[in-house]
Amino acid sequence: MKSQGTSGSLSLKSYRSWQRALLTLAACVGTTLLATPLLDILDLANIVMLFLLTVLVIAVTLGKSAAVWASVLSVLLFDIFFVPPRFSLAVNNIQYLVTFAVMLLTGLITGQLAANLKQKAQEALVREAQTQALYQLSRQLAGALTLTQVSEMLSIFIAGQFSAMADILVIGRTDSGLSPVGEPAQVKIEPHLARIALDSGQLVRSDELGQMGYASLYLPLRASMRIRGVLAIAFNGPASDLETAQQSLFEAVASLVAVAVERLHYVEVAQTTELSMLSERLRSSILSALSHDLRTPLTALVGLADSLTLSKPALPLPAMETAQAMHEQASRLAGMVANLLDMARLNAGEVTLRREWQPLEEVAGASIKLLGNALAGHPVQVRLPADLPLLEFDAVLIERVLCNLLENAAKYAPAGQPIKLTASVVAPLAEISVRDHGPGFPVGKRDELFNMFVRGETGTGKPGTGLGLAICRAIVEAHGGQIRADDAPGGGACVTFSLPLGTPPIIDEEQP
Amino acid sequence: MSSPACKVLLIEDEKQIRRFVRMALEEEGCTVAEADTLARGLIEAGVCKPDLLILDLGLPDGNGISLISDLRSWSDVPILILSARSQENDKIDALDAGADDYLTKPFNVGELRARVRALLRRRHRHGDEATPVIEFGDVRIDLSRRLVLRANEPVHLTKIEYRLLATLLGQPGKVLTQRNLLREIWGPSYIESSHYLRVYVGHLRQKLEDDPTQPQHFLTETGVGYRFQP
Repeated sequence: MKSQGTSGSLSLKSYRSWQRALLTLAACVGTTLLATPLLDILDLANIVMLFLLTVLVIAVTLGKSAAVWASVLSVLLFDIFFVPPRFSLAVNNIQYLVTFAVMLLTGLITGQLAANLKQKAQEALVREAQTQALYQLSRQLAGALTLTQVSEMLSIFIAGQFSAMADILVIGRTDSGLSPVGEPAQVKIEPHLARIALDSGQLVRSDELGQMGYASLYLPLRASMRIRGVLAIAFNGPASDLETAQQSLFEAVASLVAVAVERLHYVEVAQTTELSMLSERLRSSILSALSHDLRTPLTALVGLADSLTLSKPALPLPAMETAQAMHEQASRLAGMVANLLDMARLNAGEVTLRREWQPLEEVAGASIKLLGNALAGHPVQVRLPADLPLLEFDAVLIERVLCNLLENAAKYAPAGQPIKLTASVVAPLAEISVRDHGPGFPVGKRDELFNMFVRGETGTGKPGTGLGLAICRAIVEAHGGQIRADDAPGGGACVTFSLPLGTPPIIDEEQP
Repeated sequence: MSSPACKVLLIEDEKQIRRFVRMALEEEGCTVAEADTLARGLIEAGVCKPDLLILDLGLPDGNGISLISDLRSWSDVPILILSARSQENDKIDALDAGADDYLTKPFNVGELRARVRALLRRRHRHGDEATPVIEFGDVRIDLSRRLVLRANEPVHLTKIEYRLLATLLGQPGKVLTQRNLLREIWGPSYIESSHYLRVYVGHLRQKLEDDPTQPQHFLTETGVGYRFQP
């Protein structure tokens, strides 16, 4: 790579080396011609000064090598044309040898110094231009709205400053793989090297690959939170003369790009969050509107059908049966709607658990009481160990779980058969089981049962939506427990759910 | 059946629900006044001085809790709340504000009539001397002598158990919220310690219920509170 060397000596570059030699020669000969008529007026020492001035001017305008040339040439011309005997290399006074030596040395040193100074000034100019360009780039990047824009700005910058090509690789949102921002990628990229740069956080460079047309420089995009990707740069020629100064320039570019990429990442995160908040709000307002709109007519329907059955004088028998059936169906519909809304609310994550420490016994009793007639014909035997500790749960939701399980048991088990509600401690969990003496669960379908709209046996004529167990699972899992279906030993179905035991609060003993 | 011409004020915005509730109330021998907004309800309550108020919590012009507080500043009329199942917090707030009982939609007519009867009965007994002796099941409690008998055997209760029992017995049929009971019996600093209440209710059930797992008298209103059912 030759960028900085070439651009660093832009004014020198306008002369070829033979032109420079010719100019040097002309300048020295010119000085000789100018000084010859002055030989009578000036001391030789002052003529030496004229030559030294020439060397200085040449050094500034034509550079180091010309300055060396000019020094040697000046000494020769001075010797031949000014030091007696004139027109020969010989000298009368041996002291002139000292003059020559000093003249040569002074010429060489001032020439070198002047030329260096000039070059430094040139480099400073280039650096300033680059700093300016970097500043421009950073200003542009600050306004970039998409990664593609960032990539385009970067490409223009790299092409303008280094006549090279660049591409940005960013970490994908879902996986940790790197993918180029620009489509199609401008630069041929070696994914392994990019990966190394990403993982190590160090610059990776491969000149061999550069020769083959691949990107030869891979810089990690290190932002404040993490490394966000890799900047790959491909040079047109070999990158072998890449200098340290330039390397740090590329690192500066990389950090600018990294900041831009990170900023865009957080913009995206903020947008997604806002979007999901909006849709969440929409969903919950739809849910509450729906639940109100559905519940109101259902309440009216259940109540009106019920009053029909109770009207006086009593309806004739067929009409009475119709009214009773209407009431029953409306109640069932209300139950299903309640289930659907519960499921929707649980799925929407809208339910916040009101967890409190309480005895399981209480919620079990409340569930049985709530089900009332639905359990008719199925005596419920509650067998809880006396030393069962308090558990932390949302009473309303766990009541729902127990109601669903007991109702299922009552629905599928033959009339008259008892339903057993038991509990045991299997540290670190408490396991609660509801067991019936029905036909049990169909083989091979047990795990599916807890999915939405799956029913144990289709076409059994038992009413239901297949939501009951799905609701149970959602509630139990929200509590950090698990639910499973088994066949009870000795026949029948058994559903067991667990709740974490935790550390129950201590109840202060009462003063006697 | 309650005394002649009990006046009931029904505040509910859905016409068909008002219709069947009115039918049920008239079956009970009540006269019914209706209102479809909170604002109208409050005016009606002032004008007709009802013996019972039935209030839907989801009215278009507010959730009814402010009406309960307003009403309670000048009237102790029993209030029955109609609410949806997912509104536990509203129920609690309404009960804390002074409502007496609630029904969850959808409800059966029989259930409604039973609640209405219970509330009206309490209202009429309100003026009478409170009897110091209360009996339910095989339990007999003499509040004047702090004596609790079960099947004629004395039952030992701790101080807190007795206080809890007396509080529950003091308002039979009324739903008492957890917050309310905790404040009453343990004091304001225990309002968040609901496990105390639950454990002590458990003790009462152990000592006074036939089957503590399926209580008949000390009933749980899940997520809300407790109710003593004589």
